[in-house]
Amino acid sequence: MSQSASIAPPSPRTLRLGMAVSFLLMLIALGVFTLSLRAANPVGDDGQVIEVTASGCEPNRLEVPAGQRTFTVVNRSDRAIEWEIIDGVMVLAERENIAPGLRQPLTATLKAGDYVMTCGLLSNPRGTLHVVAGDSSAPASTLPATAFVGPLAEYQVYTTLQLRKLRTSAVDLRDAVAADDLDAARRAYREARRIDLHLAMPIGLYSDIDQRLNARADDFEQREADPAFVGFHRLAAGLFGHQGTAGLNPVAAQLVADVDTLAERLKHASIPPAQLAAGTSRVLEAWLDHHRDDSAIAGRDLADLVALTEGADKIVSLLSPLLEHRSPAVQQTLQANLKALQRDLPAAINSSTPSGVAAGALLQATGTLADSLAGINQTLTLEG
Amino acid sequence: MKTTRQWIATGAFALLPLAPLTALITAPAAQAAVAPEALVGPVADYKLYVLDNLEQLVSHTRDFTAAVQAGDVEKAQALYAPTRVYYERIEPIAELFADLDASIDAREDDYEKGVEDPDFTGFHRLEYALFHDDSTEGMEKYAQGLMDDVNDLDSRVQGLTFPPETVVGGAAALMEEVAATKVSGEEDRYSRTDLWDFQGNVDGAREIFELFKPLAAQEDAGFVERVQDNFDDVEETLADYRLEADDPSAGFESYDRVSDADRRALTGPVTVLAEDLSTLRGLLGLN
Repeated sequence: MSQSASIAPPSPRTLRLGMAVSFLLMLIALGVFTLSLRAANPVGDDGQVIEVTASGCEPNRLEVPAGQRTFTVVNRSDRAIEWEIIDGVMVLAERENIAPGLRQPLTATLKAGDYVMTCGLLSNPRGTLHVVAGDSSAPASTLPATAFVGPLAEYQVYTTLQLRKLRTSAVDLRDAVAADDLDAARRAYREARRIDLHLAMPIGLYSDIDQRLNARADDFEQREADPAFVGFHRLAAGLFGHQGTAGLNPVAAQLVADVDTLAERLKHASIPPAQLAAGTSRVLEAWLDHHRDDSAIAGRDLADLVALTEGADKIVSLLSPLLEHRSPAVQQTLQANLKALQRDLPAAINSSTPSGVAAGALLQATGTLADSLAGINQTLTLEG
Repeated sequence: MKTTRQWIATGAFALLPLAPLTALITAPAAQAAVAPEALVGPVADYKLYVLDNLEQLVSHTRDFTAAVQAGDVEKAQALYAPTRVYYERIEPIAELFADLDASIDAREDDYEKGVEDPDFTGFHRLEYALFHDDSTEGMEKYAQGLMDDVNDLDSRVQGLTFPPETVVGGAAALMEEVAATKVSGEEDRYSRTDLWDFQGNVDGAREIFELFKPLAAQEDAGFVERVQDNFDDVEETLADYRLEADDPSAGFESYDRVSDADRRALTGPVTVLAEDLSTLRGLLGLN
C-alpha cells in the first residue's frame, strides 16, 4: 500500500537496538509486576498451593511446619469441589464449592501431626498432610482452657437436647416415608433439617457423618443417581424434587442410624474451644460458598440460613461473656452483626415468594457475621 | 497470685454477685493435673441432671398447687415433701437466683414479721397453712405464686451456662446446708418432713461427687474413699427411717421420731462430708 511504502524500513542496527531496549523494558516491567504482586500479597500469602484434579490432589503429600498456615486450593477439575483438612474423623478446616478453574485460600492453625486432605470427589484418594513441630510463632490455641469449661459444657447440653429432637424428627420422617405420607414426611424433613443445621458446626467436625447427612449430589461421581448419595439432600430431592417418597425408605432409615452414630460420637467428643467460633464461621461460609452467585434465595435455602443463624446465636451467647471481659468492642460488633442478620431474615421470610428474595443484603449480612466470628479466637487469645 | 488471665477467667464465669469470694482471693491450686477439658463432660451431665429434676419439680409442683387450690388439705399435705425433694436436690443452682430462692424456699425466720409477713411465700408459707392451720384457706394466691416461680426458675436454668466452680462447689454447699439447717430440724418445722429434704440434699451432693469422682480419684484416691464411706454412713442412718425399705417413694418417718443419738450420729459424717467436699474444687483445679 502507498502509505506503508512511504515509511522507510529500519536499519538492522536500529532493529538490534530496539530489541535490546524492549528486552530491558520487559525486564523492568516484570520486576515492577513482581514487586506489585508482593505489595498486594505479602510474601508467602499463597502458602502451599494444592491443585485438585479430577482424580486427586497434586501434590498428594505435603509437609508444613506447625502453626498458622495458608493453603491455596486450585480447582483443575471440571466440577465444583471441596477441600478439607481432617484430623482423624474431625474436620479442622475446609473450603467448599470451589468452582472449576478458581483458586481459594484457606488458613488453618495446625499442631504437629499427620492429617488427611480430601481431594475433590469423595471417591478420590485422599492426600496426606504432615505437620512438623518446632515453629514458635505458632498456634492461636493458647486460650485459657478453664475459661471454656462452662461454655463447652453448655454447648454439650445444647447438642444433647438438640440431638434428642433430631432423633424424634428423623424417626417421624422414616415412618412417614414408610407410610408414603408426603405431607408428614416433608414436615418431619423440615424439622429434622432445621436441627441438623443448628448442629452444623459439631456435625462438620466429623467428615464421614457430615457426608452421609449433608453431602450434595454434585459431590458424587454419578450425582443424584450415585448409590452413595444419601442424607438430607437425597431426601429433599425425592420429597420436593420428585414430589414423592419413592425409593426413600432406605435413605430415611440410614438417616436415623446416622443420627444415632452422631449422638454416640458427640457424647464422648470434646469440641476444641477454638471450634466454637471458627467452626461456626466455617458453616456460614460453606452456606455462602453455595450461594455467592445467586441473585435470589428461596424456600429451603432460606430455611437453611435461618437454622444456621439459630445455631450461631447459641455460640454467640456462649462466647459473649468471655469476649465482653476482653474486648467489649469486639463483643458488641459480633452481637450487632448477628442482630443485623436476624433482622434481615424475618423480612426475607415474610417477603419470600416462590422465586425467593433478593440475595444481596442476606449474603452480605451472613458474610459479615462469618468474618466477625472468624476473628474472635484471635481476640480472645491476643487480649488474654 | 493469680495471673491477669485467671482473673479474667474467674470474672467471666462468676455470675459475679454470687461467686464465693474465695474464688477471687485464693491462689491457684498446686495440683493442676486435671485437664480443664475433662471437666466439660461432668458439668454438662450435671446440667442434664438438674434439668431432669426441674422437669419433675414443675410437674410435681403442678399437682401440689392444684391440690392446694382445690382445697384438698390431705392430698396437699401428702404432696408437700415429695415435691420439695426436687428443689432440694438442685439447690446449688436454684440458689443462684436469689429472688426466686427467697420466694420459693425462704422460711419465716427470714422475714421481720415471721409468718404474718406479706412477703413470706412459697413452700414454707404453704407448709404453715397445711400443717399448722390444717387448712388451705387464702392459699390460692400462694399456690399460684409458687407455680409461677417454679416455671420461672425452670426457664432461667435452661438458659444458664453453669459456672463449673458452682457445680463442683455445690456438693459441699449441700452438705453444709444439711449440717446447718436440716439436722436441727428447723427446715420443715410444721410438716416434720425434714428427712425428705435431708435425702434430697444428700442425693444432690452425691450426684456431683459421682460425676467428678473419676477425676478426683486421679488426684487423691484416699479422699474419694473417705467421702464414699461417709456418704454410705449417712445413707445408712437415713435408711433406718424409711417407711418402706424397698420403696424410696414411700418416704420417711416424722423427724420427731429420729432419736437424739441418731441426730448426733448424723452430725458427724455430715460435717466431715461438708469439710471434705469443700476441697473438691481445689482438687480439680477450679479455685
